Amino acid sequence: MTQSGAWLLVVEDEEPTRRSLSNYLVRRGYRVDEAATAAEALRAWDAHRPDVILLDLGLPDLDGVDVIRHIRRAATTPIIVVSARGDERDKIAGLDAGADDYLSKPFSVGELEARIHAVMRRLGGPDGDPDGRLRLGQIELDPARRAVTVAGSPVHFSPREYELLKVLLSNQGRLVTRERLLRAVWGLEYAEAREYLHVYVGRLRRKLSEAGVGPLIEQMIATETGIGYRVAASKAATPAEAPTSG
Amino acid sequence: MCPGTLDGAQSITQELAGSLWPAAGGIGIDTVKLFTWGRRTPGRLTGPRSVPMVAVVILATLAGSTLVVAAIRAVVPDAAPVYLLAVLAVGTLFGTAPAVVTSIAGFLLYDFLFVPPVLTFTIASPDEWLNLLLLLAVAVVIGRLAALQAERAQEAADRALEAESLYRITGVLASTRTVGEATPLMLARLAETTAMDRIWFGLGPSPMEEHIVADTAATEALPVPGWHVVLQRLPDGPMRWVRTHVGRAGPRRSPRAVVFRIHVEVAGELLGSLWALRGRAEREPDRAETRILSAAAGQLGQAVVRDRLVEEATSAEILRESESLKSALLDSVSHDLRTPLATIRAAAGSMLDRTITWTEDERLAAFQTIDAEAERMGRLVRNLLDLSRIEGGALRPELAALDVGELALQAARRIHSGGKTIRVEIPPALPPVLVDDVYLGQILANLLENAVRYGGPTIVVQCRDLPDEGAVELSVADDGEGVPMRALGHLFDKFYQVPRTDGLSRRGMGIGLTVVAGLAHAMGGTVRAERSVAGGLAVVVTLRTADPPAELEDRSRVPAQASQ
Repeated sequence: MTQSGAWLLVVEDEEPTRRSLSNYLVRRGYRVDEAATAAEALRAWDAHRPDVILLDLGLPDLDGVDVIRHIRRAATTPIIVVSARGDERDKIAGLDAGADDYLSKPFSVGELEARIHAVMRRLGGPDGDPDGRLRLGQIELDPARRAVTVAGSPVHFSPREYELLKVLLSNQGRLVTRERLLRAVWGLEYAEAREYLHVYVGRLRRKLSEAGVGPLIEQMIATETGIGYRVAASKAATPAEAPTSG
Repeated sequence: MCPGTLDGAQSITQELAGSLWPAAGGIGIDTVKLFTWGRRTPGRLTGPRSVPMVAVVILATLAGSTLVVAAIRAVVPDAAPVYLLAVLAVGTLFGTAPAVVTSIAGFLLYDFLFVPPVLTFTIASPDEWLNLLLLLAVAVVIGRLAALQAERAQEAADRALEAESLYRITGVLASTRTVGEATPLMLARLAETTAMDRIWFGLGPSPMEEHIVADTAATEALPVPGWHVVLQRLPDGPMRWVRTHVGRAGPRRSPRAVVFRIHVEVAGELLGSLWALRGRAEREPDRAETRILSAAAGQLGQAVVRDRLVEEATSAEILRESESLKSALLDSVSHDLRTPLATIRAAAGSMLDRTITWTEDERLAAFQTIDAEAERMGRLVRNLLDLSRIEGGALRPELAALDVGELALQAARRIHSGGKTIRVEIPPALPPVLVDDVYLGQILANLLENAVRYGGPTIVVQCRDLPDEGAVELSVADDGEGVPMRALGHLFDKFYQVPRTDGLSRRGMGIGLTVVAGLAHAMGGTVRAERSVAGGLAVVVTLRTADPPAELEDRSRVPAQASQ
């Protein structure tokens, strides 16, 4: 599926990588801006307000994490971090600064495109639903009633489980770090209590799976080892598939 | 008076005076001597006190007093105080018992000589009886008090002396870094102070397993551990010496010398022993000596523990540093391998996408990219291998007379210039250089890649003939920001990264230039880094020229040593 017309900004200081990526993306129907430095990137972002930014963290003039912070001050433009750094701390720093997803080099161009689609599906955003409900596949969360249904049947969750699911569903198409989830659900002082998260995500998955989602749940709320959880984005597909229950 | 005592004390005071006031040693000795000139408490005598000697002194004192009493009796009605003075003197000098003896003897003598009827022990008047008995009582009390006073003064002086001796002995520990450094001097001083013939210090859980750290008579064989006298330190009881043995108890023969052992322990853990040897005829250590030996053992124990902690901390530090270096290297290697790999996957993946129809030119460009990036990866792997060969001294260059200009042009053509200009300037009639073409290719590729990555838009490769030195200089210069002067000298160090002022994370592994230097040295060349004419960095490699024609004939391997 080609997203014709979507405007991408590829920020990459390695010229061969940048050229190869941009050649491919252009032929896939995107409009592509290229930037080799952070300064160029911020200029291009100002000029065109691209739909998605692919950002290499190791830039010659400014750390990529600072670029993310700078952009996040002004806009929620989806940012996919692309980096050759192996350290997980870099990924977490990028995500915590506001990046939506992370790709480690080397990656396949197919994977890159899938991630671009995922963050773009979020563009309209679940928050934009007129009824305020969050939907992911058959799962529907109604904040007004604090109720969760799977294919229309109610599923019972404890308050913490409900909060966790709400945060996850609000971050569709994104990679959410464990720290962010812990802070949002348990509070600041629990930012290191990873075992909580492990247990609660396990319970969420089990309940949702038993309620009818099935093994697909492992992909809808996927574990990104050492970093956090990647929530699938199904908004583009959801309105057509989801049974209208309201 | 009491020669044994004075000898021991004097040697200490002389030493002390010598070390504390080297210029005024005499004064020091005399000063302290005043205090040491007196009797010592019985248990601390440095040799059995001679009873006849004391008796002679008592008799002499009494005789003297009697003469004085006889002489002044005409003037003074009662000469009894003169005897009291004699008792006082004996008490001060020799202690309680001699003072009591003097009192009784004086009482009898006074009775015999001066109390009527004279020259008998009979006392005529009951008044005289009372007088004499009172005199005796006063004499005994005065003698005892004088003795106590002298004892206290002596004790205070001894303690001060002991503390100073101990300070002098264990102070060595504070001024050296390790126990091993401190012990030779420390034990020598300890032996001197405690009048031991030999002292040694062993570390180990038992006498049989000890290794000797220091020994004041290291050239002589150590006595076989057997019967020895060990210092027992009871929790709040006194210290005492107990005869014991280690190993199989042999016959308790009278050895020529007595071996003393003091446990060196800290917090209940036995670390080793302090051993002391004294000639057979000698007594066991007195209280002062025992205290010094015990304190020295305690200090040694503390120092050993301190050494261990320092050692543990150091090795932990080294381990952590090497771990962090290892992980930094792995991080760099993975980063530097992933970057070209990402390009290759992007280019190859694009070509594999069936939804896209690529033109022939696009296809060609993609394959060129893949080829160039694969070569870059190959170069990186080669650098890593070369680095380990350089470190292992395993470089075996195959030297041949080659045209350096041609090699430079080839390298410049192969490198991915990323839009930058690479100018190769080769003077005509450059002599051939004696190089391994693979090594020189690697050197040029590393230098050019660095220049492309960190330099400005123009890179200049130059060659210069140095006929007098039989060498050709090959330089790769850029017009970038260059590196700070202080970093120039470190550029060829392994894993060295030019410190960044902008706080950005490190880039690259810091092995490319190390490999350049190693390979150049292996071919008999040299490298240096300097500021380029354009203000950037210039790396200059000096290569040996091939002496025509003899060297040309001999193209066989020339052994070369890798040196870093």
